[in-house]
Amino acid sequence: MSSSLQSLELLLAFLSRSYTTLETNFYKIPGSAVVARYVKSSHQNDPGRTLLEVILIIFAIRTLLQSRTRGDQSGKHFIQFDEKEIDELVEEWTPEPLAQPLTPQEQADLASVPVIVGPTGPKPKLASGKTVINLASYNFTGLAGNEEIKASAVDTLRKYGLGSCGPPGFYGTQDVHIRLEQDIADFLGTEAAILYSQAFATISSVIPAFGKRGDVIVADRGVNFAIQKGLQISRCTVRWYDHNDMESLEHVLETVEKERKKRRAPLTRRFIVTEGIFDNDGAMADLPKLVELKKKYKYRLILDESISFGSVGRTGRGLTELYNVPASEVDMLVGSCATGLASAGGFCAGSHIVVNHQRINGTSFVFSASMPAALTVAASEGINILRNTPSILSTLQENIRAVRAILDRADYITIPSHPASATIHLQIRWPTLQLPMHASHSSSNKPSNPLSVKPRDPPQFDVELEERLLQDIVEEALSQGVMVTRAKRLRGQELVEVRPSIRLAVTAALSRKDCEKAASVVKAAFAKVVGRRR
Amino acid sequence: MPSRPSPIAFQSAPLTQSIFKKKSASGLSTAASYLNAVSAADARARTRGSAASSTASTPALSMSSSATSSSEDTVLDERQDFTDGLSYPRTPPTSSQVFTTVHSEFGHCGNEDYRYTSRHRAGTPYESYPEQDPPYYILLTTYISYLLVICLGHLRDFVGKRFRHVNYRHLLPWNGYAALNSDFDSFYTRRLKLRIDDCFSHPVTGVPGRTIMLLDRYSTDYNKTMIPTGTRTRALNISSYNYLGFAQGNGPCADAVETSIERYGVSSGGTRLEGGTLDLHQQAEALVARFMGTEDALISSMGFATNSNIIPGLVNKGCLVISDELNHASIRYGVRLSGANVRMFKHNDMQALERLLREVISQGQPKTHRPWKKILVIVEGLFSMEGTLANLPVIMELKKKYKFYLFVDEAHSVGAMGPNGRGVTDYFGVDPNSVDILMGTFTKSFGAAGGYIAGKKAVIDRLRIQGHSFTYAESMTPPVLTQVIASMASIMGITMPAEKPHSSPSLALLRSSSNEAALAMSEADVVPGTAPASALPSWMPLSPVMIDGSDGRHRLSRLAFNARYLNRGLRKLGFITYGNDDSPVVPLLLFHPGKMAVFSRMMRTRQIPIVVVVVAYPATPLVTSRVRFCLSASHTKEDIDIVLRACDEVGEVLDLKQAPGERWPVEEIISRAVEIVRAPKMP
Repeated sequence: MSSSLQSLELLLAFLSRSYTTLETNFYKIPGSAVVARYVKSSHQNDPGRTLLEVILIIFAIRTLLQSRTRGDQSGKHFIQFDEKEIDELVEEWTPEPLAQPLTPQEQADLASVPVIVGPTGPKPKLASGKTVINLASYNFTGLAGNEEIKASAVDTLRKYGLGSCGPPGFYGTQDVHIRLEQDIADFLGTEAAILYSQAFATISSVIPAFGKRGDVIVADRGVNFAIQKGLQISRCTVRWYDHNDMESLEHVLETVEKERKKRRAPLTRRFIVTEGIFDNDGAMADLPKLVELKKKYKYRLILDESISFGSVGRTGRGLTELYNVPASEVDMLVGSCATGLASAGGFCAGSHIVVNHQRINGTSFVFSASMPAALTVAASEGINILRNTPSILSTLQENIRAVRAILDRADYITIPSHPASATIHLQIRWPTLQLPMHASHSSSNKPSNPLSVKPRDPPQFDVELEERLLQDIVEEALSQGVMVTRAKRLRGQELVEVRPSIRLAVTAALSRKDCEKAASVVKAAFAKVVGRRR
Repeated sequence: MPSRPSPIAFQSAPLTQSIFKKKSASGLSTAASYLNAVSAADARARTRGSAASSTASTPALSMSSSATSSSEDTVLDERQDFTDGLSYPRTPPTSSQVFTTVHSEFGHCGNEDYRYTSRHRAGTPYESYPEQDPPYYILLTTYISYLLVICLGHLRDFVGKRFRHVNYRHLLPWNGYAALNSDFDSFYTRRLKLRIDDCFSHPVTGVPGRTIMLLDRYSTDYNKTMIPTGTRTRALNISSYNYLGFAQGNGPCADAVETSIERYGVSSGGTRLEGGTLDLHQQAEALVARFMGTEDALISSMGFATNSNIIPGLVNKGCLVISDELNHASIRYGVRLSGANVRMFKHNDMQALERLLREVISQGQPKTHRPWKKILVIVEGLFSMEGTLANLPVIMELKKKYKFYLFVDEAHSVGAMGPNGRGVTDYFGVDPNSVDILMGTFTKSFGAAGGYIAGKKAVIDRLRIQGHSFTYAESMTPPVLTQVIASMASIMGITMPAEKPHSSPSLALLRSSSNEAALAMSEADVVPGTAPASALPSWMPLSPVMIDGSDGRHRLSRLAFNARYLNRGLRKLGFITYGNDDSPVVPLLLFHPGKMAVFSRMMRTRQIPIVVVVVAYPATPLVTSRVRFCLSASHTKEDIDIVLRACDEVGEVLDLKQAPGERWPVEEIISRAVEIVRAPKMP
C-alpha cells in the first residue's frame, strides 16, 4: 500500500517537474508569452470556446492520423467476422479463371492475322509464301524500306547503340530526340514539339496532362479509342457532339456556355477534342470551322492527326497544310511518327508552354524510356524526304483517286471516308430491301443529348454478321493476291460501337495500275461475298 | 600516373577554354600521354578488327555526335580520354587479354575474382536491409527546408503576379481562357523543381553505356532556359538502365540489328492485328516465352503501354486489384483504365497483405458484398526507387491459400536478377509457371525498347484479343525486335541444330498454325533452356560468345558482383541506403531537397565526372529524397571504386553518413572488395 503511494508521489513529482521545465522552455520561445496571454484571456471570457478549440484540435489530429485507404473497417458496410469465419469464407471463395479461353470464332480471328515474312512494304511476302499487294499496312508515303532511312538508321545504331536506356528526365534525352522534336516543330510550323515513344500512348497522355477534374471537354462522338481512354483518365466533364457535325458542335458549345452562366460557375479550362482524319471511318474534320468556333467560344483545340499527318497536304504536313490553317492555331496537335513517317512513336506539337507542361505532366512521356535513337533519326530523315519530295504526296493522292474511282461506284460498298483520305473504310451497303428501316424517323431534328455519348438515332447494324462477311471478303481478296484488313475494334470496350468496315491504307509506293488492280479485286470480293447472300 | 584536370570540369565551361585545350592537346607533350595514345591505338585496332563489318565512317571508338563527325570532335574526345580512364583503360591490357568491347561502352575487366552469382540463398527468409531512420535533426531540417522554399515560392508568386505580370500570364485566366495550368498545380514544378533543373533532363549523345557523353549546358536565367555550350563531357554513367550492358554500338547484338535494318528497314507498318505482324514478332514472342520458361508470351512496343494497355484486358468491374503502394505509374494507369477496384498495401509488408486479403475476401465487393470475380495482386519484382525485391516466397504461399492471381512487373528485375538472369523467379528459385502473369520490359536489361507479358497460353491469347495493344497500338519495329532476340539469345546461349535436331523445328513453325509449338517447348526443356538456332532468324549473324552463352554468363556475373559491391560498400561507408544487397538499383538517402542538387553537381564536376539520378517528391515520400545508382555489367571494379571514393568525399561534405554501425575507410573497402561481396552476411 505504502509502496504504491510512494510511487504515486514520485510520479506526481515527476509530472510537476516536467511541467515546470515545459513551462520555462515554452516561455523561452520568442512570442510565446503573447500566445499564453491570448489563451488565458480567451478562456476567461468564454470557457466554452476553449473546449471547442480542444475538440477541434483533437479532430484535426484524428483526421491526420486516419488511414487514407478507402473502405477501412469503420465504414457502415463493414461486417465484423471472427477469424474462423474468415477462414471459411476464404475457403469457400472460388475466383473466376484469370482469362476465359478463346471461343472458336476468336481463335479463327487470331489465326487469320496475316504474317509478313521479311520486310513490310507495298508487295510483301506472306507466311503462306505468296507475294501480295499490300493495302493493309500503314505506309502512306512509301517510306518503309527507304534506303536513305536505312543508311542513317544504321549509322545512328553504331553511334548510339539501340535503346536509350532511360526516361527523358534521367539521361534519356539524346541530341537526336531534341533534333526530331525541332524537325517536327519546324515542319508543322509550331513553336515546339514533344516526342512520345508510342503513338497510341500519346493522346491518352496529352489529354489528362491538361484536362483535370472540373474542366470541360467537348468531343466528337466518333473519336478513336486512344482519345476515349484519355478522356476517361482525365476525369473531365465531357460533352459530346455529333460525329463531324459542326452545327452540332456549335450547339453544344452554346449549351455549355449557357449552363456555365446559369450556374455562375468559375472559368475552367475548355477543350475541343477531335481528329483530323477519323481513325474509325476516314471522315475529315472541317479545320477552318473548328478554329473559328474554338476562337469564338474561347476553347483550346486538341487535334489528333495520327492518320492525317504524313498523308494529306502538299508535303504531308496534314490538315493544317491542306486547309492552309497555321498550325499555331491548333493548341495541341498530336500526330504519329509510326504511321506518318514509317518509324515509331508519336508527338504533340504546340507552343513552348504547352510542350514544356507535358515534359513534367505527360504520364507516358515522364515514365517511359525515350525512343531508340535509330528510330528517331529515321523519323527525322522521313521528314526531310517529305519536305524535299512533294511528288510523293501527289502520287499518293493520285493512287487514292484511282482506288476511289473504282470503289465509289461499286455495289454493296459504302465509303464514309473523305475523298482525300489515305485510309478508306469500306462498309457493307445492303441492298435496299434488307436495309433495317431506321432512317425514316431520324428526320426529327431534335439534337442529341450532349451528356451522352450515344447519338439520338444510332445507326443500326449487325456487328457479328457484318464482321463475318467482311472477314470473308478479306480472305477472298487475299486469295486473289491483295492484302486488306478489317478495321479491328475491341467490341464492348468502345464507347460507341463502330460500324464494321474494311480499312484500306493506300500507299504512294504502289503504281497506279497496281492500285487499280487491287481495288478491282476488293470490289469483286464484295460483290461475290455480299452478292451471294441475296 | 599523372592526371591532369578534366578539360571541362564545370558545366558552364566557356567555349574558348575548350579551344585552348584542343590546341594543347595536339602536342601530346608528356611521356604518359604518349604511352596512353599507343595503348589506345592498339585497343582501337583490335576493336576495328573484330567489328570488321561495321560501316561506321567514324572510328568505332570515337563516340562523336551524329551530324558532324569532324576531326575537331575526335580531337576533343581523345584529348579528354587520355587522362580519366573513361574511354581507355588506365592500364593497357596484357598481351594475353583480348577485349572485344569498346571500353567506354563496356568496360574491360579481366579479373575473374570480380564475379558473383545473384541468387537467393535457399531456405532463408527474404529480408531487405532494414530501413534506417536518420537522426531527428535531419528530418526536422528537411521539413524546415521544404517549408522555407515553399514560403519563399509563394512570396515570389505574390510579388511577381503584381509587378511582373507578363511572366505569369499562362498561369492566370486571360482573354476569356482559363489558365492552361493553374499556378497551384504547377507550384511544385516552378518553385521547387526549377531550382535544381540542371540535374534533370540533361541532354546526352552517344551510347548510354558504361560512360555517357553529356552535352554541356548552362543557364543565365535560373534554369528557365538552358543554353548549350557546344562542348561535351564524357562522364561515368551510373544512371542508365543498362543492367546487362547491352547498350552498345558495337558487338554481336549491334551487328545483328544492323543486318536486320538492312533487311527489314525500320518500319513494321501498323498494329499487330491489322497487317503489322512480321515473322520477327512471332520469333521474338516464342523466344521470350522460352526465356521466361512460360507457355507463351506477347510483346508490345512500349514498356509503359504494356501495363497500361494489358491490365484492362485482365480485370474489369467486379474485380479487385491489390497493389503495392510503391507500384509504378504505368500499373496505376492501367488499373484506372480497367475500372476494377483497387486496394493498396504497405510496401512489401506481407502481414499487411494477408490482413488485407482476409478483409477483402470476407467482405466481398463494397456495399453489395458479392464475392469478387477475381483478385489480382500486382507487385514489382524489383522496385526501381527502393531497390527492394518482391517477397516472392511468401507471396507464393499466400497465393496458395487465398487463391488470388499474381502479376509480377519485372521491368527492372528481368535480366538483372537471378543466376540465369530470368528475374525474381529465378533469383528465388520459384517456378515461373506458378506466377500467373510475368510482365517485363526490354528497355532495361536488353538495351532495346518495349515490353512483354508471359504466362499461360490461354491467358496470353486472351490478352492478344482483349488487351488494347494488339488492336490499336503500333507493333514493335524490326530493329528493336532484333535487339531483343539477339540479346536474349546471348544470355541463353544457342543450341546449334547438329546437337539437338529433334526439338527445334516446331519452334520455327508459326504460332497460328501450330499450338503444339508452345507446349513442346515447355515440356522438352527445363528452365533455363537455351535458344535453338532454328528459333532465331536464319539471317542473323551469330558470334561464338553468343552461342556458348559465355557472353551472357560474363555479363550476369559482373553485374552481380558490381551490385553487391556497391550496396555493401556504401553501407560500410556509413550511408543510409535501401534495398536488397543483390539489387542493381542502389538508392542512397539524401533527405534534404537542397542536397540533391549539390550532390548531383559535385559528382558531375569531379575530375572524373559521374552522372547520377536524384529523385525526390513526388516519386518518393517527401522526406526521403535520394540519389539512385543503377549498376551495369559494363562497369569495372575500378568504376565502382571511383563511385565509392566520390561518394565518400561528397558524403563527408554533405553530412550524409548517418547510418549507425561499424564503418570502414574507403581504401579498406576497396582493397577488401572481394571479401565484402562473397561474405554471406555483410562483414
